[in-house]
Amino acid sequence: MSNFLQYTVFGVMVGAGYAIAATGLVVTYTTSGVFNFAQGAVGMIAALSYWELVSAHHVPVLLALVILLVFGASIAGALVERVLMRRLHGASTERPVMVTLGLMVILTGVAALVWNPTTTRQVGNMVNGQFRLVGINIQYQEVLIIGVALAVAAALRALFYSTRTGHALRAVVDDPELLAMSGVSPNRMSQYGWILGFMMAALAGILLAPTQTTGINIEAMTLLVVNGYAAAIVGRLKSIPVTFAAAIGIGLAENYILSYIVPHVPQTLVPDITNALPIVFLFIALVTVPAVRLRAAGRLTTVRAPRVASGKESLVAGVVFFGLAIVVAIVFSHTVFRGTTILALGGVVMSLGIVGLSLVLLTGYSGQVSLCQFSFMGIGAFVMGKIAGGGSLLGLLAATLVCAAVGALIALPTIRLRDLYLALATFAFASAVTRGFFADGHIYGNGGLSIGRIIVPGVSFGNDNAEFLLVTAFFVLAALLVLALRRSLFGRRLVALNDSPAAYATVGLNIGFTKVAVFAIAAGMAGLAGALYGTVQGVVGQTDFEIFPGIIFVLFVTIWSIRTVSGAFLASLTYVVLSQVWLNGLGLFAGFGIILIGRAAGGILGIEALQFQLPWVKRSATAADGVTAGRQGAIAAVGGETRAAG
Amino acid sequence: MVRLVPLVEQTAATAVLTVSEVAVRFGGVSALTDTSLLVQPGTVTGLIGPNGAGKTTLFNVISGLQTPDRGTVHLFDTDITAMKPHRRARLGLARTFQRLELFGSLTASENVQVGLESTVKWWEWRHLRRAVPWKRGSASAHTNVPDVAQPPAPGSLALATCDRLLEGVGLEGRGGQQSAAMSTGLARMVELARALAIGPKLLLLDEPGSGLDESETAALGELLCKLAAGGMAILLVEHDMDLVMSICDHIYVLDFGDVIASGTPDQIRSDPMVQAAYLGEAAPSAEPLPAAPRPPQSVPDGLGGSAP
Repeated sequence: MSNFLQYTVFGVMVGAGYAIAATGLVVTYTTSGVFNFAQGAVGMIAALSYWELVSAHHVPVLLALVILLVFGASIAGALVERVLMRRLHGASTERPVMVTLGLMVILTGVAALVWNPTTTRQVGNMVNGQFRLVGINIQYQEVLIIGVALAVAAALRALFYSTRTGHALRAVVDDPELLAMSGVSPNRMSQYGWILGFMMAALAGILLAPTQTTGINIEAMTLLVVNGYAAAIVGRLKSIPVTFAAAIGIGLAENYILSYIVPHVPQTLVPDITNALPIVFLFIALVTVPAVRLRAAGRLTTVRAPRVASGKESLVAGVVFFGLAIVVAIVFSHTVFRGTTILALGGVVMSLGIVGLSLVLLTGYSGQVSLCQFSFMGIGAFVMGKIAGGGSLLGLLAATLVCAAVGALIALPTIRLRDLYLALATFAFASAVTRGFFADGHIYGNGGLSIGRIIVPGVSFGNDNAEFLLVTAFFVLAALLVLALRRSLFGRRLVALNDSPAAYATVGLNIGFTKVAVFAIAAGMAGLAGALYGTVQGVVGQTDFEIFPGIIFVLFVTIWSIRTVSGAFLASLTYVVLSQVWLNGLGLFAGFGIILIGRAAGGILGIEALQFQLPWVKRSATAADGVTAGRQGAIAAVGGETRAAG
Repeated sequence: MVRLVPLVEQTAATAVLTVSEVAVRFGGVSALTDTSLLVQPGTVTGLIGPNGAGKTTLFNVISGLQTPDRGTVHLFDTDITAMKPHRRARLGLARTFQRLELFGSLTASENVQVGLESTVKWWEWRHLRRAVPWKRGSASAHTNVPDVAQPPAPGSLALATCDRLLEGVGLEGRGGQQSAAMSTGLARMVELARALAIGPKLLLLDEPGSGLDESETAALGELLCKLAAGGMAILLVEHDMDLVMSICDHIYVLDFGDVIASGTPDQIRSDPMVQAAYLGEAAPSAEPLPAAPRPPQSVPDGLGGSAP
């Protein structure tokens, strides 16, 4: 009994920590309409700064809290709203997700530069000591966390429902124009929302830092907030009390599972189970949340859609591209760059290019966001390595199919909900796979998993030239497939679904089915890419498919142009080159790049000044020229005898 | 007091759409209170009322974007109250939107194509191969798309292809334009063509006339009459009273979520409650709503010069 009570108290404490993180997410979302993926990173920076002030410079705790929360977090929140978010009004739905992810990778990059990751930084409890109550030990720190969480939730509830500012804060998301007409500045309200969100994030980071028994790890702290996702989803990203209660429930459930069930499973599975729990809770939450009503949003795309290459054009381009690849294979056949042959790097570019293509299909066409394409790559490489000892064409097929099936399973619970929930699910999935599945020595093996070069009877892909050309051929085929899909009725449907889900449903098309189908296809492509990546590298390990590089790659594709095949290729090329030249700069480049691109849907390739037209390519079919019929006569032409209607 | 106008020839047995006592509340606000209406085949039924009367909410209930708190919606004999929007569309229910819901990145003809192809399964090879360079077919090559003219009725629009649908709404030559770049009036017509493309038995039009000039409105009215003459049931929300009075066979008046009157245009025009709802309390002494000539019930053949 006393064990149960002890577990319960600890569960409530853990839940209270999740509650602070989750309510912070909800606060930013209700007041700005943006889900802040950088929430965890803000907490991480706050925790490290707190360590810097209190542990390294012996600043009194209260003064440190005032400096960090009242000044640091609020100024940072206000700046982020003013500089980054305000420009995004009216941008496509996935863009705020990308920008907050950009902020996240910038913050993790800066943290790694300022606080050397190899040093251990342990933050002590704010209050020490413990007391006994009904036979169990309770630490003052636990009481402090629970108390602060309760106080914060109560204060936020009071702010939102009992003050004029609170009403305005909630109204700003629903209808900023209406709010402006009632004399309140929607921008100011948004800014208050971001300030509050940053303060909550910082508070959560500082309070949860002492629970990190091995010291503050940049990545672990940034991902700690994932545990709060399920609670925020149960609260439907708007209800603070429900979120709070759900967080406590999750904390309890997790602690009971860890205390009662985990001791009875093999020791090797423990980290997998621990890391899988947040995603299990997340999926339970997704299934239980009521479906989101389809709304006729009246949204009209104003961005000029990029021209889709015709079948002939794409075939010609594909052949030319492959021809250039042959030239590269001949010219650089023995060139080595920093210990790796150019052709091996080229193979990596091509396989990552296929991941980029999967994002063009998924995000560029259908507007859905996946943050776990690298995880699919990892699963694909794993399947490739395990089937027929690696290196068989059957392995490529299996990798594609397995990843497509896993993709469908991830997308399935989110189809009734907004696209944001899919992004959340993929983020949580990537986090769980990175920390659990891939980190498990039994799965990838210590020292990595060997994957042989592809063997086709009669043809050898053993040398780098042949391997490079094989992967290039797969890239070209994948690019032709993506373009062919875009020209097919499936492609029209993807774009239509992105532009207006309400209209999509009312012409008789099944939104959920289309979403799952495109997600599964994209996941399958990423799986294929992973299998090919494995054959290029020879050995793959957990560090190849981590969550942060995966997100950085998504940002690279967005920066170049997530709507075009060339964007996918250029993103892959620059990503690989930069990762060879300055690995730590990847995140900073991606973060600042996405901020500079801002709301421009077409990325760098979409910038008008950079557009050029090949002389033999016909002009865009969407241009308004060539239409001579005046608007006046447009409808009058319907009937021979025009009748006065009134 | 709510006055129930006897429904002239309005019987549920023949109706395409039967809405029975539907109620919707948004928080404390009642958007619809026990609203009932019938739409008969081959007629244009008007739904009028001041802003905020609940017209668009009712459209959302009928098309499945809003689940009612109470009441039922039947399409022919099928209870569609809890059905998903896309399943309703497959039963023959199409709609347009008050605030345009175009597929803005697609061209006008691609918008219509998405509607035309809505019953096609994309993974079937014969459709996929059209995207293959050496097998490209024209947009008009669809063989199994619903034909608006089924069953072909005299004077109905035999619009089976994208081009003919665009022609039908007066957009010939504009199929290649990106729809987001079009003016509101033209964009409304793209929406209408897209709705027609699914071969609807019941067409819900939410203010199709707003943004149109006089001659365009006249042509729209004529088009709707033709469609109705072809057997289609049309439910029309419109603020242009001239258009409503001239083409509707039956009109329902909605105010604060209640049907306050229903009847023929003549009955509605002289109804004092309608005048009060539209013109304020001083209504009974005010001018009656504009009278308009009924449209000729004989329908011109085809689509004027553009039809084959």
